[in-house]
Amino acid sequence: MNLPLINRRSGNGKATSASPAAGGLVTLDDHDEQSRKAQWSADKWLIAGALLLGTNAAGIFGLPLFLFGLKKLRDATKAGLSVRPIMVTLIGYLVMVDAGLNLQGWILDLVGNHTLIYRVLYTAWGNVFDAGYFWHYNQLWIGGASAPGEKAWEVALVLVVFPMRIAAAIAFLQMKRWGYQWLIVTCWFGVVIWVGYTMNMTVFADVRYDGVVFPVIGWWIYDIMYITPFLAIPYLHTVNREIFSD
Amino acid sequence: MNERDRQRKRALIAFQIFIYGYLLLQFGLQLHMWATRDW
Repeated sequence: MNLPLINRRSGNGKATSASPAAGGLVTLDDHDEQSRKAQWSADKWLIAGALLLGTNAAGIFGLPLFLFGLKKLRDATKAGLSVRPIMVTLIGYLVMVDAGLNLQGWILDLVGNHTLIYRVLYTAWGNVFDAGYFWHYNQLWIGGASAPGEKAWEVALVLVVFPMRIAAAIAFLQMKRWGYQWLIVTCWFGVVIWVGYTMNMTVFADVRYDGVVFPVIGWWIYDIMYITPFLAIPYLHTVNREIFSD
Repeated sequence: MNERDRQRKRALIAFQIFIYGYLLLQFGLQLHMWATRDW
């Protein structure tokens, strides 16, 4: 977190409404107020972008909004305001988007599997990358993907990991200590998920890759982006935890 | 950074090498299966 150094770069005229050079007096309260405003102004764009990114289909429209929010935050940081560090912002939002995408996709496979749109979308996706979403689709008692083990992963992660991950990411973005601690927990959960899920893919590879258009490499290219929480682990373990308050 | 921090960092690096190695192994196994099976 930027320490509240008053008018640290007062010459650039950005985000400091009253500088001593202009005859104004900036108190610590003014600085806090300006920082809060700048943070919220950036967060509005970041939240809108992250929400769109998390919808999958509208993700492409979310990216420019998200990047604009990041730019606003960077400008505020350069102006010397006490705003959230860029790395905390990136990790918090990306972990949240990761959880949102997974949550939405798997909830729909759990409960929306007989809707026309998902019978089309999931089986089409399954046909191209992962026959776990094609082979005997909707033919078990629970519906949706019939790949061995898939439903167990869906239930465990949808009910436990992803909601926990979203809650932790929100608190992490608010720079709360519990958010930081729980983000570490949920990021390590990511390790468990990847170790277990990829093993499942390998064990049942004959089911999942047989007859698909783009076997193995297709699945890895599509899914490797969900490794984000993994990548955050070194940062989370080395960052100064004192920047997160109780 | 004290000795304990250094050890922790080293353990974290070692564990990451193991995890990414494991993922690469899975990818390699799947590629091998792709090459040898009639998918």
